[in-house]
Amino acid sequence: MTGVRRYNRLFYVKIFHPLRIYSYFDPVKLFLSFMTLTLLSHQWKSFWRGRGVAKSLAMQIFLGFLILYLLLSCLFLGFSLGHFLHSWYPKQDPIRIYCGLILYYFALDVIMRFIFQELPVISVQPYLIQDIRRRQLVTYLNARSLFHFLNLLPLFIFLPFIFTNITPAYGAAAATAFTLSILLLTCFNHFGMLYVIRKAYLNTWWLVGFVVAVAAFAALDYFHLLSASAFSAFLFMNMLGKPWLVLVPLLLAALTFLNNRRFLLNNLYLEELSKKDGNKRSAEYTWLQQWGMAGELIGLDIKLILRNKRPRSVASISLIFLVYGLIFYRPIYLVPFKFAMLLFPAIFMTGLFIINYGQFAFAWQSSSFDGLLTSNLPVAEYIKGKLFLFSSASTIAFVVTSLYGFIDWRILPIQMAAWLYNLGLNSMLTLWFATYSYKGLDLTKSATFNYQGIGASTWLYALAAMLIPFAIFLPFFFSGYPWAGIAALGIVGLISFLFRGWWIEFLTKQFYKRKHLILQGFREK
Amino acid sequence: MITINNIVKSYRNVAVVNIPSLEFREGELIGLVGNNGAGKTTLFRLLLDLVRADKGEILSRQHNVAVTEDWKSYTAAYLDEGFLIHYLTPEEYFYFIGKLHHLSKADVDEFLAGFEAFFDGSILKSGKFIRDLSKGNQFKVGIAACLLQKPEVLVLDEPFANLDPSSQMRLVKMLKELAIRKKMIVLVSSHDLNHVTDVCHRILLMERGRIIKDIDTTADTLQELETYFQV
Repeated sequence: MTGVRRYNRLFYVKIFHPLRIYSYFDPVKLFLSFMTLTLLSHQWKSFWRGRGVAKSLAMQIFLGFLILYLLLSCLFLGFSLGHFLHSWYPKQDPIRIYCGLILYYFALDVIMRFIFQELPVISVQPYLIQDIRRRQLVTYLNARSLFHFLNLLPLFIFLPFIFTNITPAYGAAAATAFTLSILLLTCFNHFGMLYVIRKAYLNTWWLVGFVVAVAAFAALDYFHLLSASAFSAFLFMNMLGKPWLVLVPLLLAALTFLNNRRFLLNNLYLEELSKKDGNKRSAEYTWLQQWGMAGELIGLDIKLILRNKRPRSVASISLIFLVYGLIFYRPIYLVPFKFAMLLFPAIFMTGLFIINYGQFAFAWQSSSFDGLLTSNLPVAEYIKGKLFLFSSASTIAFVVTSLYGFIDWRILPIQMAAWLYNLGLNSMLTLWFATYSYKGLDLTKSATFNYQGIGASTWLYALAAMLIPFAIFLPFFFSGYPWAGIAALGIVGLISFLFRGWWIEFLTKQFYKRKHLILQGFREK
Repeated sequence: MITINNIVKSYRNVAVVNIPSLEFREGELIGLVGNNGAGKTTLFRLLLDLVRADKGEILSRQHNVAVTEDWKSYTAAYLDEGFLIHYLTPEEYFYFIGKLHHLSKADVDEFLAGFEAFFDGSILKSGKFIRDLSKGNQFKVGIAACLLQKPEVLVLDEPFANLDPSSQMRLVKMLKELAIRKKMIVLVSSHDLNHVTDVCHRILLMERGRIIKDIDTTADTLQELETYFQV
């Protein structure tokens, strides 16, 4: 018995020893240290001087407006939420409904983080051998990771509602505790997800586990086996009643933070933090061989997409947007005079890959372009391969989205016209446009918020590609013949497609005109 | 035969390459030497139509390389990693290049069997993409892919720089054999005067874009070059 007591006493002495307690504030101290600030300033420089950053002023202003717009939308949502909730559910307490939604936000936050969050690992490489303590580096890594738009978002979404609704009803103390809880839960998500992503990065089973867990929770909620909204309302209503409960999120946030810190301290080796090189195997797509050289080139593009981060995310975005129709194909739009609303998603779904991937058709291969152009591959053949890739992707999208025909058969002809346009005209125009892009791309960076290789012209093009079909369709639409407009769009696409021989010749010539500019741009990167 | 007529290429009004006339004949193994910035790589790029000449032309078998694409079928080059496709495994890359020259997989495999010693077991079936290979091994992939094309014109930029000593020796042997037996034009740039004088029949010394010496290699060539590069 005495032994146990002694052990307990020792433990007690150990964790509350003055020196020990002082060390608990280490992370905080380091957080504010000069070194962390220096490292952060390097990061700031590397961001603005990076290749992915929009260089031109016009582009920066445009992006600034875009970000401002997004934040203002969130702010608007935050301020008007109380009003909306009140008018949608007049009989219920808006705060209770609001509390019921919070957990969904955090669930969404988890998924968003899984997609958008990047691990700031490589950036420490040059510092590892300098005279900087590992603790400082780890603190820097943690501090740096906090600068993320997902951590900024809750401020805009939650604060307005807290000000307008919760403070009047529950008082300032409860509101402060509530705000703190939200921020701490954001930290919990942040550091928790960093750990999960890191684990998933090293070991694919974590990824599988994560997806299964998310799907399971979504299914439980969907089939009302477990109500996330009731649970969420219970949690946060309690929080409002008993402000001291803020200690729970504090504990959660501290735990994930310390866990992350521990993991980094123990594994601060680049080879342990970056992906384990699994055995890479050669792949062979024999089914592509029936198309000769064009098939071979498509195989090359498929490998490019599957094996590089940025094209992979571009392609998966195109896949994800195939469900776009679920939002737009609603009975209210399925009347002839609202056809314009249907044409948009149809073009978007069958053409997104062409617009997104095709604009950089050559730039994707910028790092091997010297080799491709000196190899025994006629440029016309190369261009043919690209067009073939575009039409295949568009056709696959068309076939898959044909399922929307079950909603209403009239969706099918609209999608068909959109598909023909993408196949016959959009492909060619996009490739033509691609011969004007002289900026190389770094394939290893992810696609989200990556503006490398993107200029103002890129945005203009994406806009034009969307507007051209409307230029064909709208005259008919306004004269009262929407179906004729749809048919006209399809026919224009088809005719252009039949002239693809001419297009290939034209595009080859265009390519040759700017070949050296493209090559030079790609080499500079 | 490759003929260079009055070629000029300038960047920011400084001529990087400025060659009034030059000829390469079949069976010649030509070494290009010169300090950094002398214009060696730019000359190669002009030859491969990777940069546009400000003036003049380069004829490969009487055809301007900037106008036709015919030269692609008999010319192979490796200047830097930009000539490789990084996200492929070495095998996939070889098969792709082979396909461009109508070689079947079996043809390529047979050819690669001859490179076993050169590859030293670290390239084929290494379980890596080309981007994960070391610089030296990437270079080996590039050279092998060049030779796979059975070229009649071969251009290599600093082939000795990243190779280990044994591979350097092997490469020297291969190049000597090829030029004599196959009647190729082989162009090699290098900073390694020993190797260049050992391998090449003819040495071009470049300085600020100009060919200041065009000599047939003799026993005294190494001495001559060393005197030039003396600091």
